[in-house]
Amino acid sequence: MSQLKLAILCCHYTNQATAQDVADIPAEVVIKSFPCSGRIEVADILKAFENDAQAVLVAGCEKGSCHNLSGSLRAEKRVEAARKILEEIGLEPERVQMAFVPRLDTGAFVEAAKRTFETLLEISAKGETSS
Amino acid sequence: MIIAERKPIKRILQMIEPFERVAVIGCRGCVAICSAGGDREVETLAAALRLARKRQGRPLETVEDTFVRQCDPEYLAPLAELKEKVEAVVSLACGVGVNLAADLYPDLKIYPGVDTSFYGANPALGEWEEKCRGCGDCIIDFTGGLCPIARCAKNLLNGPCGGSQGGRCEIRPEVPCVWHQIYERLKARGELERLYQIFPTKNWIPAGHGGPRERKRPDLQINSQKK
Repeated sequence: MSQLKLAILCCHYTNQATAQDVADIPAEVVIKSFPCSGRIEVADILKAFENDAQAVLVAGCEKGSCHNLSGSLRAEKRVEAARKILEEIGLEPERVQMAFVPRLDTGAFVEAAKRTFETLLEISAKGETSS
Repeated sequence: MIIAERKPIKRILQMIEPFERVAVIGCRGCVAICSAGGDREVETLAAALRLARKRQGRPLETVEDTFVRQCDPEYLAPLAELKEKVEAVVSLACGVGVNLAADLYPDLKIYPGVDTSFYGANPALGEWEEKCRGCGDCIIDFTGGLCPIARCAKNLLNGPCGGSQGGRCEIRPEVPCVWHQIYERLKARGELERLYQIFPTKNWIPAGHGGPRERKRPDLQINSQKK
């Protein structure tokens, strides 16, 4: 199996983790920061898949602690919209995950990334079983 | 504004199945306001189409643009150049825009990316409600500004019907009975006597019985090049 690729789209304030922090995850992990998770568009999520990611994690601040008040709530809505589109084109919606993590808590951020990777492994295993 | 909704992506993929280079063109008019066909929706749909085609092993190239409007010929002028660069266009404008483009550029393969639904208002974020049916003979001076043609499920001119219960419509109980609202509105405004008037038979001819409707203002047509 070729190496899996995980894209993480996150708020600049949520996360300052680097590639080293997610080095334990046996996948290519690409982290892209935005000024706020509310700026992450559905198209950004879809483009991550276009760029060969097999799963995308959107990470925003915990509800109620967004620097811009409602950014991570908007991000959650965009994740829902992206999931619907993935479903329409025959991809598993679970490939997109949303995580609300405490600001600048690298530990929680990395845990969310690992959970997304585990979800991806489950999806991949199901795909191999059904094919 | 005109309310529209994106078509299912599988349906759009069928339309563009033979093509490898397609333009996705939005409109900054009504469909942008109702979040069906503005810049954001163009970018999203184009990405979704490319991703779907990539998975099929038949990559798709897209050109993305959003015109100021698609219901005026001058704003559609870029299509003349664009049609030389792409094999087809998916328009996220309402049906008016797609029709006009098809009229002006007969050799352009243009396909609708949205279903055009109704004339509606935007009472809250993410909600659109039909308020007008464009029947061409407005009677809302009799009905407190509330349109029974668009807002009554039976288009009644003498409602409420026998099925209205507790101010709700029997067809869809989550919808208020507009005739109940009309009565309450006129009563509150001290204009209940308007309902006692025998108003003229509604003229349905302007509703489209003579084929496509048109409106002309000769005073504005001095420099018109139409027809």
